[in-house]
Amino acid sequence: MNAQVDTPPETAVLEIPSESAKLSIRDLDFFYSGKQALFGVNVSFAANAVTALIGPSGCGKSTLLRTLNRMYSLYPGQKATGQVLLDGEDILGPRVNVAALRARIGMVFQKPTPFPKSIFDNVAYGVRLYEKMSKPDLANRVEESLRRAALWEEVKDKLKDSGLSLSGGQQQRLCVARGIAVKPEILLLDEPASALDPISTARLEETIAALKTEYTVVIVTHNMGQAARLSDHTGFMYLGQLVEFGETEQLFTNPVTTRARDYITGRFG
Amino acid sequence: MTAFAPQRLSRTIAEGAFLVFCWVAAAIALLALTAIMWSLVSQGIGGFFKPDGGGLDLKIFTMSTPAPGSEGGLLNAIMGSLMMCAVAMVGAVFVGVLAGTWLSEFARESRYGKVVRFLNDVLLSAPSILVGLFVYEILVAPLKGFSGFAGAVALGLIAAPVITRTTEDVLRLQPTALREASVALGAPVWRTILAVIWKSAQGGMLTGALLAFARISGETAPLLFTALNNQFLSLDMTKPTANLPVVIFNFALSAYDDWRRLAWAGALLIAATVLTVTIIARLLAREPRRS
Repeated sequence: MNAQVDTPPETAVLEIPSESAKLSIRDLDFFYSGKQALFGVNVSFAANAVTALIGPSGCGKSTLLRTLNRMYSLYPGQKATGQVLLDGEDILGPRVNVAALRARIGMVFQKPTPFPKSIFDNVAYGVRLYEKMSKPDLANRVEESLRRAALWEEVKDKLKDSGLSLSGGQQQRLCVARGIAVKPEILLLDEPASALDPISTARLEETIAALKTEYTVVIVTHNMGQAARLSDHTGFMYLGQLVEFGETEQLFTNPVTTRARDYITGRFG
Repeated sequence: MTAFAPQRLSRTIAEGAFLVFCWVAAAIALLALTAIMWSLVSQGIGGFFKPDGGGLDLKIFTMSTPAPGSEGGLLNAIMGSLMMCAVAMVGAVFVGVLAGTWLSEFARESRYGKVVRFLNDVLLSAPSILVGLFVYEILVAPLKGFSGFAGAVALGLIAAPVITRTTEDVLRLQPTALREASVALGAPVWRTILAVIWKSAQGGMLTGALLAFARISGETAPLLFTALNNQFLSLDMTKPTANLPVVIFNFALSAYDDWRRLAWAGALLIAATVLTVTIIARLLAREPRRS
């Protein structure tokens, strides 16, 4: 990668050294019922860091995210080819236990999706799937998760209330708590703040920033300020391609490719 | 012409005429309903009182259908109807909920799914007398006897398509994000359906089941060929079983005043039950509001 050449490169992807990479994506193509949505994505995401994916609507960032926990496998028309290596093991392979894989990779969605259960049961739901725990242990796990998600103080006296009774921002933090309660290694966030007001967004961002010490976080966002504030690395996607990937500071202050520069300076998108 | 010019006269007339037409049509529909309800209530209430004016006639709930001119009530018919409806609903809920779940969660737009959905819709509107004849052919004739179970099967065949349809409809209303949220935690699809989707849709599913119950509780035709009737109180569903609709059918056409009085009482009883169940269904359908 050389920014000094006369014509800027079409694409520029920073190599993450393999020893610090948690997820490595190799030659990933993605198809919705035959229509290609990702084209030859090659990139690695570093462990214990926040990686942001930005780009205009329909550029494939959510598709890329949904490949990482095999969410697309729910839908018969969707197909991914290539490799996604989690700690060196290809998770796109046919013999992967998808449910067990998803327990290792948490996901938080654009809109808050609390289950129609109590706050406690929302957080305990995923834990009960894979771990046999005594009641006090489970209660500890729930409390710990809610604390991490910065929600404990607001809900500690009403754990039996329905998760649907919380405000939108609280619901989204409940979803984060639910996701980290199963102790995943990776947390995928798909525009988690897009339905939230600025104050809730700020609280959620604090939560995410605090999580990266233990988790590998990948966040899709439309909000470039959010990407700049939160992430260590940022990838810019356009028309199904990963155009540029690098250190967040470098990408936002001195993008190498023309397309990334145009997007970040607001010329399109 | 400016945007605020007065409306053309022809349009004003057309609009008025259309409105009047709608009013009249609505009134005709309501008039028929009111007339039915009025005769049912006015005659039916009388059925619950002793003919000589001696207060409430509790024998309706304590005695079985009488011979003409003697004392009696509807106990055997009420019990028979309750038993058959209960058995029918157990079977229909089992089949309907699973079939509706399959259509909504697994079959979706697959060809087999479309065929099943279409056939279910056909069954949904099939004349109930055909269902009765069908059960007569497969259960009553081969086993050489009318029975309460045959009646329950006929009622269940009428209820199951209703439950299948409503279950599929309410499950499809559940947001995809809810399914994905559960799956993303590592839950298998079956667990997601049981613990999250059904839970989220339970109000609507219960409403569907109650509507199906309301539908079968007044069905007469399928019972004529299956459960037949029974003059005596019997809890043995392998034998012919009394039921309200058939008792109403027989008694209402009879020449005896006391029988006709019981028929009206039975009709009001069914109508009141259906009304109650429908109101409960309405209340349950009011799902908690989401932000």
